[in-house]
Amino acid sequence: MSEVPRPAGQTARAWAAGALALGLALATGCGEPPQDEGDESAGLADDPEFVWAIGSSDRPAHEAVARLWNEKNPDRQVEIFFLAATADEQRQALFQDLQSRAGEFDVLGLDVIWTGEFADYGYIESLEDLRPEVEDTSLEGAVDSAQWQQEMYALPYSSNGAFLYYRTDLVDDPPTTWEEVLETGTEAAEEEGIAPFVGLGDRYEGFVLSFFELFWGAEGELYDEAQENSTFAEGDAAETALDFMVRANEQGFFAEGYDSMVEDDARALFQSGEAVYMRNWPYAVPLLAGEEGEESAVADDFAVAPLPTFHGEGSTSVLGGFNNAVSTLSENEELAREFVTWAATDPEAQDALLDNSLPPTMQSIYDETGDPDFQMLGDILADAEARPPVPGYNSLSLAVQDHIHPAFLGQTDPDEALESVDDAAQDAVGEE
Amino acid sequence: MAAGTPKARSRRGHGLGERAMGRFFLAPSFAFMALIALFPVLYAIGMSLYRIRGFDQDFVGLGNYLDALGDSGFYSAVFNTFVFTVASVSLEFVIGMAFALIMHQAFVGRGLTRVVILVPWVVPTAVAAQVWRYMFDHNPGFVNAVLGTDINWLRDPFWSMVGIISADVWKTAPFVALLLLAGLQTIPRDFYEAARVDGANALQRFWYVTLPLLKPAIVVALLFRTVDALRMFDFAYIFAGYSNSLATLSVYAQRYLIAEPDLGYANALSTITFVIVMLVGLAFISRMGRQVVGEAAPRKEKA
Repeated sequence: MSEVPRPAGQTARAWAAGALALGLALATGCGEPPQDEGDESAGLADDPEFVWAIGSSDRPAHEAVARLWNEKNPDRQVEIFFLAATADEQRQALFQDLQSRAGEFDVLGLDVIWTGEFADYGYIESLEDLRPEVEDTSLEGAVDSAQWQQEMYALPYSSNGAFLYYRTDLVDDPPTTWEEVLETGTEAAEEEGIAPFVGLGDRYEGFVLSFFELFWGAEGELYDEAQENSTFAEGDAAETALDFMVRANEQGFFAEGYDSMVEDDARALFQSGEAVYMRNWPYAVPLLAGEEGEESAVADDFAVAPLPTFHGEGSTSVLGGFNNAVSTLSENEELAREFVTWAATDPEAQDALLDNSLPPTMQSIYDETGDPDFQMLGDILADAEARPPVPGYNSLSLAVQDHIHPAFLGQTDPDEALESVDDAAQDAVGEE
Repeated sequence: MAAGTPKARSRRGHGLGERAMGRFFLAPSFAFMALIALFPVLYAIGMSLYRIRGFDQDFVGLGNYLDALGDSGFYSAVFNTFVFTVASVSLEFVIGMAFALIMHQAFVGRGLTRVVILVPWVVPTAVAAQVWRYMFDHNPGFVNAVLGTDINWLRDPFWSMVGIISADVWKTAPFVALLLLAGLQTIPRDFYEAARVDGANALQRFWYVTLPLLKPAIVVALLFRTVDALRMFDFAYIFAGYSNSLATLSVYAQRYLIAEPDLGYANALSTITFVIVMLVGLAFISRMGRQVVGEAAPRKEKA
C-alpha cells in the first residue's frame, strides 16, 4: 500500500485514519478486564532455588505466600512464574513446559480439575506419602480433588465456593430449595420489573459447574467410588436438573443474555439492582458492599446464603481452587515437596491467602476467622463437591457445553443431550 | 541478480553455467525457506501419524485420519467453514466491488471517503471480533434495540453464523475494495471513451470493459479472501468458543491442541485443513486464473 505514490494531503488523511483506528483499538482495550499480566517472573528472589508456576489471577495472594517462604528460608528461595489468567492458557503453558521437557517449573499450581490429566500423562509425582499431612487438616473436598485413582498427586492450596446472593429488600428468608428460588425470584422480579436470576450461563466451564450444582443438588453422582464408571444417568438427578433449567428458562427465570453471561457480567447486573438472585463466587461481596469507592445500588440490600438443593437440605457448591503438584522433571524434588506441604499446612501461609480474599483450604482458618461470611463459606466448602479429576475432565466439560447448553435453551432434545453426556463421562475416565 | 548476469555469461563454457550459477545463488534462500516453511508442515504431518498422550507416543499410521472421517464434530466444522467462506466471500466481493467503484469516481471528499472505508481493515481481527460480540450481546449490546428484534445473536446457531459473517464482511470488504481499486486504476480511460463513442451505456461499459479487464484483480482478491476465510479462527472462537454449532476447521483443530489435548489428532486436523485450503487455492488458480498465472509461467520457462 505504501509503495503507491500519493499527494501529501492524502497521506495526512491516512495518518488521521490510522490515529482514529488506534484510538478505537485503545478504547476497546480499556473496556476489557485486565488480563494477560502473566507469562513473567515475579522477581521475588535474587537467586531462587526452585520455581513455582501458578496463574496470575490472584497475584497478591501468591506473592504474599512466596515472600513468607523466602523470609523463613533465605538460602532456598522460591521464584514465582506467573502464567496467564485464564485456565486454558495456564494449562497450555504448563503442557508446553512438560511436553517439550524444558522442565523450567518445579512446583505446578494446578486447577482442581487437572489432577487426573496431569497424573495420567506422567507429568506429576505421586505424593501419596504426604497424605497424612493434609488429611483432616485440609477441607475434605480439596483433598478429594488432589487425588486420582485413590492416590495423592497434589496437595491442597487454595479453594473457592459458591454463594447464593439475594436481595434482602425483596426476599425475606434465603430459599432452601431450587423450586423456591424459582417461585420467589419470579414473583419478586415481576413486581420490580427486574430479572429473577443471574449467574454463570455462558457456554464455558462456569455453565458446566452451574449444571453440576443442580445435578448434585438432586443427589446425583458423576462416578462410582473408584472413579471407574459413569453414574451420570443413574437415578433421575440429571433429568431433574435439566428439566428445572428448561422449565425455568421457558418461564423467563434467567435474565436476558444469561446464555452468554460470565462472572463479572452477572456481578455488574446484580450490583446495579437488576436481579433478585445471583450465583457467584465470594469475590463479589466487597464490590457489592460498595467498598473502596465501588458504586453499588444494593450496598445495604443484599446478603449471601449457601446454594439450595432440590430436597431442601444441605448445600452443594462446586469446589474450585488450586492444588500444588511436583513436576516429574524437577531437579529439586525434595525442596518442592517440602514447599508444597508447607503451603498446604502452615497456618501463616494459609492465613496470607485469607488476608488477600482468596479462600484457603485449611479447615482451622475458617474456624478462627471473625468474618461471618467467611465462616459460612467454611461450612459451604466443608460440604462442597469436587469435580471429578478424571483425565478427560475437559472433554466431559466440553460435552456438557456442547449438549446441555443448547438443550436448556430449547434448541435440542434434552434426553439425547443427557445420553451424550453420559457417554462422554464414561470416555473421560481414560480407558479406551 | 541482474547485475551479476553479464559476468556469469562471460564465463559460460568454463566454470558454472548461468543457470547453475543462478541455482547456486538461490540455494541459501531455498534452504532458508525450506527450514521456515516446509519443515513445520512436514513435522506436523509426521506428528499426525502418532497418538500422543503426555510422554507416551504410539505410532498409529493413518488412525487419526480415519478417526476424523468418523467424527461428527469434524463434519460440522467442515460444513461451518464452507458456509462461512461461501457467504462471506460472495458478500465481500459484491460490497467490495461497490466500494471500489465509488472510490474510483472523482468527487469532492474522495480522499476522505477512501480513508473512512479502509478503517475496518486496520482494526486487529481479535479486537474487531470482541467489539462485534459486545454489540450482539444482550447486556451491553444494542443490535436488537436498533433493529427492533429479539434475536439470540450469540447462542442461536443460525443467527450466530449470520453474526460472524456480517462481522467478517464489515472487516474485509475494504480489503477486497482496495485490491479491486488497484485493478480499476490500471484500466486506461481511452477504453471507456471508445466504448462511449460506440454508444455503450454505463451498464454495458461495466460489463464489457471493466469486468474483463479487471479479471486478474478479481481473481487475486477472491483467491486471497477464500484462502483466508477457510482458515478463519478469531470470529468463530470469540463468538462461541469451541461450540460445534459455529466451530470452523481452525477452531476445531485448536480444540484438540489445547482444550482436549490429543496432539496427534490436532495435527491430523490441521493437515486436513492445510490440504483443503491448498486444493481450493489450486482449483482457483487453474480454473479462473489461467491467464493470470498461465502468462507468467511460460515466461519463467524461457528465462
